[in-house]
Amino acid sequence: MNPWLDQIAVGVIVSGALGFFVLRFFRNRKRNGGDCGGGCCAVKKK
Amino acid sequence: MSNVTVPATTEQAVRRVAIAGNPNCGKSTIFNALTGLRQKVGNYPGVTVERKEGSFFGSHGEPMNLLDLPGSYSLQIRSPDEAVARDVLLGRLPGIARPDVIVAVIDASNLERNLYLVAQLLELELPVVVALNMVDMAEKAGVLIDLAALRELLGVPVIPMVATKGVGMVELKQALSQTPLSKPKHRAPFQPLMEEEARALAGQLPVPAEVAFPEALLLLSLHDQALDELAAHDSKVIEATRQAQHRLRQAGLDPISALVDARYAWIHTVCHASVSGSGVGDGLSASDRIDMVFTHRIWGWAVFLAIMGLMFFCIFTVAQYPMDWINGGCDWVAEWVGSQMREGDLRSLVTDGIIAGVGGVVIFLPQILILYFFLGILEDTGYMARAAFIMDRLMSRVGLHGKSFIPLLGSFACAIPGIMATRTIENRKDRLVTILVAPLMSCSARLPVYAIMIAVLIPIASGFAKAGIMLCMYLLGIVTAFLMAWFLKTRIFKGETPMLLLEMPPYRMPSFRSIGLRMWERAGLFLRRAGTVILALSVLLWALATYPKPPDKEATPSEALSYSFAGRMGHAIEPIIAPLGFDWKIGIGLIGSFAAREVFVSTMSIVYNVENSEEDDESLVPLRDTMRNETRGDGSPVFTPLVCIGLMVFYVLAMQCISTVAVVRRETNSWRWPLFQLAYMTALAYVATLVVYQGGRLLGYQ
Repeated sequence: MNPWLDQIAVGVIVSGALGFFVLRFFRNRKRNGGDCGGGCCAVKKK
Repeated sequence: MSNVTVPATTEQAVRRVAIAGNPNCGKSTIFNALTGLRQKVGNYPGVTVERKEGSFFGSHGEPMNLLDLPGSYSLQIRSPDEAVARDVLLGRLPGIARPDVIVAVIDASNLERNLYLVAQLLELELPVVVALNMVDMAEKAGVLIDLAALRELLGVPVIPMVATKGVGMVELKQALSQTPLSKPKHRAPFQPLMEEEARALAGQLPVPAEVAFPEALLLLSLHDQALDELAAHDSKVIEATRQAQHRLRQAGLDPISALVDARYAWIHTVCHASVSGSGVGDGLSASDRIDMVFTHRIWGWAVFLAIMGLMFFCIFTVAQYPMDWINGGCDWVAEWVGSQMREGDLRSLVTDGIIAGVGGVVIFLPQILILYFFLGILEDTGYMARAAFIMDRLMSRVGLHGKSFIPLLGSFACAIPGIMATRTIENRKDRLVTILVAPLMSCSARLPVYAIMIAVLIPIASGFAKAGIMLCMYLLGIVTAFLMAWFLKTRIFKGETPMLLLEMPPYRMPSFRSIGLRMWERAGLFLRRAGTVILALSVLLWALATYPKPPDKEATPSEALSYSFAGRMGHAIEPIIAPLGFDWKIGIGLIGSFAAREVFVSTMSIVYNVENSEEDDESLVPLRDTMRNETRGDGSPVFTPLVCIGLMVFYVLAMQCISTVAVVRRETNSWRWPLFQLAYMTALAYVATLVVYQGGRLLGYQ
């Protein structure tokens, strides 16, 4: 693979992971608290 | 003015059913039996009370929504959980429509006590279907119920059920599918003056007409202090309530006890006419006989420890097979992906970051499922209440309330629901103490950390030895929690602890369907978490462990890791953790796992795979062996027995969970307590690990 393409693909995936946490932070602030992973903290609306 | 008929929308056509009842009467079993996998767990808006909702089809195939309300003994609330049940039934909660019909689940062997809530439900002017559950247990206990008489006296359908065996489910669906649903024909009669005052007060309430009368009854049954604290109504309503209560007292009626007395008098009439048999067998029941051993002062503890030991033994032995399969699967995927991609950062990210990171956590799914299986069995059989009873003796000595046991036990699964469960504790001080010590109980996220450290410590030992170490870690958490509770209760939250009043449900066969559903639900949540949070964290940790790259192209993997952001962070905290025997690579794991404890394992997978990626063509070197072979600069092993034990002790005591911090903040409504908790747990973990490592070395151990 072209080294540039390789680096771009890595950059996109890492940015996506970072974006996931940023979005999650803002979403949890709007909703009723964080997600513990136990599935009992997130408010699920219809 | 013309009459306009509003067309029924699809949403309106779906019947909303709420399940209400006392704790331990089988609500959740009925809920699970009706909804199967069509259920979801969330929270009620504004509060952190768990909300279980699902859907099912009626006997004519019509869709229905089902809401499992928190267990409550009456609508006069004593805890936040009960408040939610009441608010849903009165349509007070914004965003949650009032149910169309209530399924009142009652324990047939304990009719009189269960009927109190039913008496209040009948006052709500909503259709009610009574699910008379556990009729088999009642029969065994010698309680014979005349169903026709009970139906006649309650004025609502009564369905005899054995929910664990699915008996009565068809009839329940038929009753719920009736169109139109009829409202209750009877309710407890009140004295005429009480009825009159309640009607008059109802007329003044700014609430929908259908809930005005039950709201008025609830207001009239509040004492002065409760009225002062009332936030749901305005001052005019409170004043009107006080005046009505005053008039009733002048007429010689105590508004609070008069309502309770009237309901109990009615219940007595109902039971007298519909129940025959003493309800007490010729001698001791089977449950009583079992309890003579299970709640015995000495044997009770032996049974308790044996059950816990068996649980951990199974976690190590039975889970090993599926864990090997998952491990083999991950190896195969990594190998296949590695062979399909050209060498470069992207391949390293996929194999060393994503597959190693996510696979390193997913492998522990079987152990977590076995933990939930045992917790489900203990809960369904009724043993949990016995465990609470046994523990109360110990807990009362450290000043904890017996009710704290369930939240603490729940914290073995996850501290978050454990902390949420503290809402059943009425006393604020007891509740705060329980919240502050709950994260010391070893949650399922610690399981992967213990498992990997035990594997590194004693790779070829028997399941018994491994289970023994695991049990020790759990006991360490329990003992520390009790000692901290004692300290907090005697130094900070001084006060009397109320006596424990605990209901001992009869022993019953567990519903394996219910337990299976719970395990399915937890597996889904765990995998969802692995596929989202752990995946994203693995990617970020890989990036932190890979970039920036050293300027020297010939640098060894160890030098490259040391040069990376993660390496620099590890080196930054190394002076602090070095006295604990931890090196900078373990430091990377500690930093990474502050988000969630199980991330320690994936961090270690990434750190060691990153480091070994050029030395070994196999991208997934088994983590255990890699860690065992890891050496320091002087050639001595990094993961000595003392370091392994120290790491486990650190994870038992440290507050390595950002979500718990957030939930404690929400539950205590201040930053003071979560920060205090974070500080004391971190200090405790540090000191204990220091004592283990340095003390062990002084004694000549490695």
